[in-house]
Parts: sequence; structure tokens; C-alpha cells
Amino acid sequence: MMRLVATLLVLIGLSAGAGMAETIYPDIPKAVGAPHPEGNAYMRINHMRLMRHDRDLTMREGDRSIKYSIKECVACHAVMGPDALPISVKEEGHFCRACHEYAAVKIDCFQCHNSKPEEGFVDLLKQMPPATDDEIQAYLDGMSQ
Amino acid sequence: MLSTLYAVLFYVATVILIVGTGMKVARYARTPAPLKIPVSPAPRTKRGVWFRMFREVAFFQSLFKSNKWIWIFAVLFHFGMLLVLLRHLRYFTQPVWWWVDLIQPIGVYASFAMLAGLGGLLLRRIVVPRIRYISNPSDYLMLALFLGIVISGMGMKFLMPVDILAVKQFFLGLMRFQINELPAQPGVLIHLGLVAILMIIFPISKLLHAPGVFFAPSRTQVDNAREFRHLSAWASQLPPLPEGIPEPEEGK
Repeated sequence: MMRLVATLLVLIGLSAGAGMAETIYPDIPKAVGAPHPEGNAYMRINHMRLMRHDRDLTMREGDRSIKYSIKECVACHAVMGPDALPISVKEEGHFCRACHEYAAVKIDCFQCHNSKPEEGFVDLLKQMPPATDDEIQAYLDGMSQ
Repeated sequence: MLSTLYAVLFYVATVILIVGTGMKVARYARTPAPLKIPVSPAPRTKRGVWFRMFREVAFFQSLFKSNKWIWIFAVLFHFGMLLVLLRHLRYFTQPVWWWVDLIQPIGVYASFAMLAGLGGLLLRRIVVPRIRYISNPSDYLMLALFLGIVISGMGMKFLMPVDILAVKQFFLGLMRFQINELPAQPGVLIHLGLVAILMIIFPISKLLHAPGVFFAPSRTQVDNAREFRHLSAWASQLPPLPEGIPEPEEGK
């Protein structure tokens, strides 16, 4: 057993250099607008539950003052194509695709919803409250994690 | 610290799983089968044996013939586990293979099949008096271990989602001999810890029935005792027979 472990350690040492350059984490496009107060790590895990929760509030209970909507997701997280217009989820490099392809999780949203911000999404961005210093700091902390 | 601990744990567990199971398989392969003991009705050709083994492994034929309700639970568990394992390939391939991408939703349903199968097999050990009498602690341990793995896995899927991107980064890193951060969420740590335990005890457990079925003489032998004399390797090295007794014809 000890010999096995020793062999293994030697193997690790020998191949430490090999394959280091490969990227093994998705390249996540940067977003515009105010950072999520919950932090990126939280949103990464829970975005779908938040949207589903608020969808039920809106659709079943008629509460329209919800916090999370897919419209705002695609607005802040829009990625511009070569023509400087937002690209759709069908195109490489769309924000959602980066992680969803990596984790092999199917995106159902865009069978019905628009994956591009709608006309005048820039106005929508302008309506958003400017980020406070704390929020920016939280965002930067999240990014550096 | 935790990441390093789990990384070492998985390296050790992988070595034990591969080397340990390999040693067991080598021992099975060397074990002599001196007698012709295929369970009849047995195929009379080599091709027939291949076909029989396929039916045994793919459909659990002998179990089906002996006990229908155990067969149902066994099929639910084993094929559920197969799909769940294939679904987990997404953590070890980058880019994810297209067919692994395709079976992701099926793998989710398969987890319920696995749970139902395990539940049934556990109930069988507790409820059926005969089975209860012959059940050893290790029988319960294996079921409990699998139940723990399935429940913690389904918990991460349905109740407490975890950062699967980081989990994948951790395992892709292990495959490249680099240690990345493993998210310290209870679901991840319990699930992976139990899986590592399973890998470590696999070569000394009853789970060896997986490779073992391919070395069972009662299933792998050809029923041709009339056509050919069955002579095991060690018997053919015995000293020659005394005078007056004719040598048997060489066969097979």
C-alpha cells in the first residue's frame, strides 16, 4: 500500500506540468449594471430558484413588484456581437451558455422568452439605481473569489 | 485544506479501487474450475455462452427466473445507477460529450428509480424472515451506503443546490493533477465522502459480484461435456496413467 502511494506521488510530481495550461473553468462574460447584492456565488447557485419563485408570485398571485425577472437578467448580462448588438442564446458567447454548456444543464427559458434584451433596454439600464460603493465592493469581492 | 484532504482521499480511493479490483479479478481468473458445471439449460457453443452472459448482465436472466419481485427492485437499482453514473460524466469531460448532454434529464428520473430499488431491497432484508435471518451487517451497510449517496445526491439536485461549476473544476483539476477549491457545502462533502468510502471498500465487498459474474463457471462454461473431455490445466500435468488404462482423447 505504501509503495502504491509513493508511486502515485511520483506520478503527480512528474505530470504536474502537463495540462496546466488548459482552461478548466468557463470564461464568464462581464455584466453591466449594479452588482447583485447577494453576491455572484449566491446567484450562481440560486438564480433559477429566485426566478421560479418570483414567476409564481407574478403568475399565480398577481404580484408584479417582484425582484427577479428574466428581462433584467438578459439586459444586464447582454453580450454584444460583432455588430455591437446583443447576441441571442443561439450564438456562441451568450452569457448563459458559458456555464450551462460547461455543466451540461439545459436552458428552458428561451424556448418562450427572448434571450436578447428588448428594444430600449438601454433605457432600462438607466432606470436602475446607481450602484453604491458597498455594492461595488461586494461585486469586486465576488469577482476576486 | 479541505480541498487537499478530498483530493488525496480521491487519489487514494481511485488507486485502491483500480488496483484492488484488478487483483481480485486476477485471482478470479487464476482460480481453477476443475469440473464441468454449467447450470442447465446451458448453451452448447461458445457463441451461445456469449449470448447467455449478455442476457445475464443486461437482463439479470437468472434472477428473473428465480424471483420476480426482487428482479424488479434489482433492475430499478442497477439501471438507475447506470444512467446516474453516465449522467455524472459531465463532471469529468470538457467539452461534455453530446450523448452525456442528451441523457441529463433521464439521469434525474433514474435517481428515483435507484432510490425505489434500494428501498425495496432494504425492505426485503427487514421484512422477509428468511432473508432477514441470513442478512449480515455488511449487507445492510452496502444498502445504507448507497442510500446515503443517492439521498445526498438528490438533496443537492432538488433541495440545496450547490456550485456544480466549482465541483466540476475540482474534478477536472484532479484529472490534471492540480488541486482546485472544492465548495465546502455539506451536500458536496457528504456525497463525495460516501463515494470515496464506496470506492475504497469496493474491492473487499460483496459488490465484487459485478466483475465476479464474468468468472462464474456455472454461467461461463459451454455445455459440451459429451463432445469434449473437460481437463483442467493442473490435471493435465499429472503423471501418466498406469499401464493398461487407455489415455483419454485430447479435447477442447
